[in-house]
Amino acid sequence: MGGLLSSLVGGETVATGNETEHSRVTKFSSSSRWQLHFNVMKDSNQLLVIDFYATWCGPCKFFEPAFIDMAVKFTDVDFVKLDVDKLPDVAKEFNVTAMPTFVLVKQGKEVDRIVGAKKDELEKKVIKHRTQ
Amino acid sequence: MAVSGFEGFEKRLELRFFHATTNKNPMGLRLIDFESLNQVLTQVQCTVVSAVANHTFDAYVLSESSLFVYPTKLIIKTCGTTQLLKSIQPFINLARDLNLTLRACRYSRGSFIFPNAQPFPYTAFQDEVVTVEASLPKSLRHRKASVMTPSNNINTPRAWHVFTASADVEPDESNNNVLVVEVCMTELDRVNALTFFKRKGDDKKNSDSAGREMTRMSGIDTINENAFICDFAFDPCGYSMNGVDGERYSTIHVTPEDGFSYASFECGLSLYDDGRGDVAEVLCRAIDVFRPDCVSIATTYGGEDYDSEVTKRVERVLAKKLGLKCRSRLMDEFPGSGRVVFQSFTPRRR
Repeated sequence: MGGLLSSLVGGETVATGNETEHSRVTKFSSSSRWQLHFNVMKDSNQLLVIDFYATWCGPCKFFEPAFIDMAVKFTDVDFVKLDVDKLPDVAKEFNVTAMPTFVLVKQGKEVDRIVGAKKDELEKKVIKHRTQ
Repeated sequence: MAVSGFEGFEKRLELRFFHATTNKNPMGLRLIDFESLNQVLTQVQCTVVSAVANHTFDAYVLSESSLFVYPTKLIIKTCGTTQLLKSIQPFINLARDLNLTLRACRYSRGSFIFPNAQPFPYTAFQDEVVTVEASLPKSLRHRKASVMTPSNNINTPRAWHVFTASADVEPDESNNNVLVVEVCMTELDRVNALTFFKRKGDDKKNSDSAGREMTRMSGIDTINENAFICDFAFDPCGYSMNGVDGERYSTIHVTPEDGFSYASFECGLSLYDDGRGDVAEVLCRAIDVFRPDCVSIATTYGGEDYDSEVTKRVERVLAKKLGLKCRSRLMDEFPGSGRVVFQSFTPRRR
């Protein structure tokens, strides 16, 4: 059971705290700005990956580096983070009951979702949905 | 039995805290930042491989078992040769920073398959007790250590070791109707155990996807269909999962190798669960996944209510549905920490 974990632990450079500085992941804390962005995405063919998180959520913090790595890797995909405390209505609308929850959206419709810090499964689904 | 191999039997630590009297925050221990948690885990020699949080608690799958963080309760369970007891003081300190005072501590484990492979102080229960005691504040005045050893004539009876320390003997409302059931299984059915080996050709990186498949193929997802499962498959074999269902947690860890095969199932639930399925049925489904030749069940009743009917029902259901006969039943009481019932089972044909 104590196998190889190097691919999962941490990763290299992670800016702790201020990931808004990381241009590949956009954080939204305003409902109106989010709505605007969501509407723009509806008209595009680009895959949108929403990470529902909370600032106090340990499992979300654990996953942060992996999410950033993925955003850097898949430049054709739109990665966003929504704070469930700041946008509770959106979280409710998307039926978020556990965290982190990743919802994959294309043209305004949910195509897939992953609940929990599951790096490989998320990557698999991003690859699956990004081109079509 | 093999001469040496991976130790599946876990060491388990549970810390319970009083609610804060000042700067109250309902999140309690869940406010401990992840980086700090990670540092404690490094001292214990394990890391987080997967995690999920719901409204009530945070569940982490570790490289060597699991960690659950509730607002006033922490449960950490680690296997192999991990240094679990090194986490006590750091956890107490982190809690203190959040104005949370320790109320009770429980340390428990079964009997190691490879006791000589353990580092000090895990080489003898007395040494573990001394180590735990040295880490606890004097305010936890009510202490008890117990080794529950079945007296039947089986070659190497597996005993259950418990040490508890409690600040008071008043019932803890948040712990009152809580039942914790810990099932330890050895000599797993070889065919069933094969499910927990990664298949040749499986990409080594796809550990949570491989875990998902093991969950389905083994039937683990049918034990509690309401639970959300966070699973993980290790290289080249081995499996862990945490189940999250409202306030209830469950966790399974599997070491499938023949010669030292082991699986554990643990769940925390309410004694008065309605519509959630009978404890006995849940245990039966869990044990059926592995069809082991040796099972022990340690049940801890948190509050004053002890229902012997539950114990008897478990024995009846396991006998009827799985042909497992209860060979011994022991009971002990721990001041401020409830009652423990320890049952051992082997197949009827023996």
